[in-house]
Amino acid sequence: MEYWILFGVFTGLMLVGTPIAFCLGIASFATVAYIGRPAIVVFQQLNSGVSAFTLLAIPFFIFAGDLMMRGGIAARIIQFAGSLIGHVRGGLGQVNVAASTLFGGISGSAVAEAAAVGGIMIPQMKARGYGADYAVNVTSMAALIALLLPPSHNMIIYSLSGGGRISIADLFTAGIIPGLLLAVALSVTAYVVAVKRGYPTEPFPGFGKAFQYFLISIPGLLLIAIIFGGVRSGVFTASESSCIAVIYAFLVTLLVYRSLNFREFVHCVTGAVRTTSMVLFIIGAAAAFGWLMAYLRVAPILTEAIGNLTQDPLMVLLLINVVLLLLGTFMDMGPLIVITTPIFLPMVTAFGVDPVHFGVIMILNLGIGLNTPPLGPVQFVAAAVAKISVWDAMKSVWPFYTAGLIVLGLVTYIPALSLWLPSLFR
Amino acid sequence: QTVLRSSDTHPDGYPTVEAVKKFGEILSEKTDGRYSVEVFHSAQLGQEADTIEQTQFGVIDMNRISIGAFGTQVPEATVTQLPFIFRSAEHFHNVLDGEVGQEILAAFDKVDVVALAFYDGGSRSFYNSEKPITSPDDMAGLKFRVMQSDIFVDMVGALGANATPMPYGEVYSAIQTGVIEGAENNFPSYDTAGHAEVAKFYSLDEHLMVPEVLVVSKIVWDGISPEDQALFREAAQESVAIQRELWAQKEVESKAAVEALGATINEVDKAPFIEAMKPVYDKYVTDPQLQDLVARIQATEG
Amino acid sequence: MRDRLLKVGVLLNALSTVALWLAGVGLVAMTLIVAYQVFMRFVLNSSPPWTEASSIMIMSWFIFLGAAVGVRENFHMGFDVLLYVLPGCAKPYLRAITDIAIFGFAAGMVFYGGELALRGWSVRIPVIGLPQTFTYLPVVIAGFLMCLFSLERLLLRMAGENVDDPIVDEDVIVTTD
Ligand code: NA
Ligand code: NA
Repeated sequence: MEYWILFGVFTGLMLVGTPIAFCLGIASFATVAYIGRPAIVVFQQLNSGVSAFTLLAIPFFIFAGDLMMRGGIAARIIQFAGSLIGHVRGGLGQVNVAASTLFGGISGSAVAEAAAVGGIMIPQMKARGYGADYAVNVTSMAALIALLLPPSHNMIIYSLSGGGRISIADLFTAGIIPGLLLAVALSVTAYVVAVKRGYPTEPFPGFGKAFQYFLISIPGLLLIAIIFGGVRSGVFTASESSCIAVIYAFLVTLLVYRSLNFREFVHCVTGAVRTTSMVLFIIGAAAAFGWLMAYLRVAPILTEAIGNLTQDPLMVLLLINVVLLLLGTFMDMGPLIVITTPIFLPMVTAFGVDPVHFGVIMILNLGIGLNTPPLGPVQFVAAAVAKISVWDAMKSVWPFYTAGLIVLGLVTYIPALSLWLPSLFR
Repeated sequence: QTVLRSSDTHPDGYPTVEAVKKFGEILSEKTDGRYSVEVFHSAQLGQEADTIEQTQFGVIDMNRISIGAFGTQVPEATVTQLPFIFRSAEHFHNVLDGEVGQEILAAFDKVDVVALAFYDGGSRSFYNSEKPITSPDDMAGLKFRVMQSDIFVDMVGALGANATPMPYGEVYSAIQTGVIEGAENNFPSYDTAGHAEVAKFYSLDEHLMVPEVLVVSKIVWDGISPEDQALFREAAQESVAIQRELWAQKEVESKAAVEALGATINEVDKAPFIEAMKPVYDKYVTDPQLQDLVARIQATEG
Repeated sequence: MRDRLLKVGVLLNALSTVALWLAGVGLVAMTLIVAYQVFMRFVLNSSPPWTEASSIMIMSWFIFLGAAVGVRENFHMGFDVLLYVLPGCAKPYLRAITDIAIFGFAAGMVFYGGELALRGWSVRIPVIGLPQTFTYLPVVIAGFLMCLFSLERLLLRMAGENVDDPIVDEDVIVTTD
């Protein structure tokens, strides 16, 4: 019965149109009351769900994105990128995927990456005639690249949950080819969809003009170099880099481009506050909901059901993928990895699946879960930046989603994609 | 038939998790199945600070928790978090099994939990990516990630190194890229967190031996008959011996594992480290009651 | 009744603006704290231990304040599935259900957040030393504001005011130049 209350109240309120955060909160509230435990835990989790250092990257990147947009850094970078590949249909879609791949190399958080890349790219794509839904979908799917490319703290969590016998260095290396594969798949999809929708192409302006755009955009391009180089050389951590992005964007717009007055700055601040508090309030409420799912043992019950269904290795992998996608729809990655790894890992290793390979499957799969409605935090961030409803973005997400699932299928059934690279380093 | 829900932040199979499961089996036997325990491992129900509150509110029934997570809430328990307060594993066990241990367990009553027993958490030492540490001088200029606790931050400062704030999940990458040089922990965590891959020098200074404690929610405890309460305490005592054995085994295993990964383990002359802790003791052991506790711990054999 | 409500609305609007500004100050403060942390580590090879805990606390403050503003400005994200199926006259009723749900949850935030805050008075936050009350206070304050804002909308709707379309504010619209 408690399961029906938890999911029933959530679904009911969601259909009514209640904001997701309150659907999650009320459903948790009602369920705790039903099982007769103190409801105080719901509000404790609401608070601790938003009190994590790794979440700092979200407000910072959104803030930096607002500053870069209003201060003109973003427009100049896009102008330069556009002059290079503007003659390709959906060129900015390609730029988006490329930027995500680059950012994926310093951040391990898909939500932070959607904030970082989306904050810059989405408004520019909209301004240049791309559909807001297209911009959101490219951004939210490409953000998953961050999970696969090193560094990836979720892979560390996986290694820990697997009893620590799985080398983190191997996991990091194993994610590289699948991450790049996802980038290629999304790039192709972005092209196909852009052609179908007839998105604009711009004539090539000539090398002279392109070089001029390059010069103008150097201060902005340096930001990418500073963040990438700063993290790679150990000057700051991945989450600190988001703060450096804010400071740098502020200084460039204020001192170099001289395009920021106090009024504009206040707009950036309040805009960033609105976007982040909406998204992070959902993440807080989802922590309460996830706590109840853990307490009611939803994940172990579902996972144990698989073992009873089939013993065929291919079927087991397929079913595991389905269950992870289902669970990933409602729960955050970290807790899910922790809960399901100890159950799934022995099952798949019994069939000869390498733990490193399984880690990559799991991360990609749960990553796609971050983009599946009704609870897709990456989608929420991208849609919030684009100022459209998730509902509007979802209607046209399917080509991108399919590309993700195809990559998941390839990664699942071709172990060499994950295992070949680490084998070179051993 | 009551199923008690117990939280643990360590993964399944970890000595503390297995010990609480064992406690549940023993309890179930003693109470003819009236009580059993279900362990929610891997911080499924939240991090330690959260689950302490949940236990206090009666949201969950039991908790296996590091004394460090109570911070300064239980003053008597903070003495066990003082650097180098315990001289050896034997000393550690003698203190906790004796009168002082009983006093500390009893002190948890005032924070609305009933503490049943102490478990082993091993000894924590520094590890880093640069060099073996043999004296406090070697620590100068190195940046270490420590837990968010005033004592630990001051301890690192007193040794001439820098305590750097950082979420645990970022430590691996931070050592790899050189944002920090190292951290400190026991062998099992050094091993399972993969830190041995990036910080190869583990220096056995054994600065901390923080006990783990098994607690029951006061609200839940008051609903248990005095006869059954006695059985809880018996079962907990019996699980302690099992946990110590599991812990010793785990330490040997993970020591071998990190050595296989290429980690260098070096012995340390502790005397200069202990010497350097004077200001930390002066700052935190001001209360006469705590001074007395410290004196009695130091006077305990072992 | 309606006029009096609209007068109260002016007051609530001011409250919402104050909350938004406070949240904005929080975002800027958090940026400065983390930048200071990086700077100190880079320059002095040592960063102060209090930066991590305090930036996280400031973040939770501005998230909850911002979320309360979101209730008044109607910018929280939902799905509106039934609106596509049911006739248009159902909209006020669906929105009323939502406002009641928000009010209920917000009341919980005040009550239980208050309990957490009170109990936290004797517990110090490690390294920054403040009572834990400060961790839970934003839940209480945001809950209180959300109660006011959802109640305001419920009453205005009953009084026949159109409150179900998002407040159009130039701040919320992104300029696309
Ligand atoms: Na990454
Ligand atoms: Na999802």
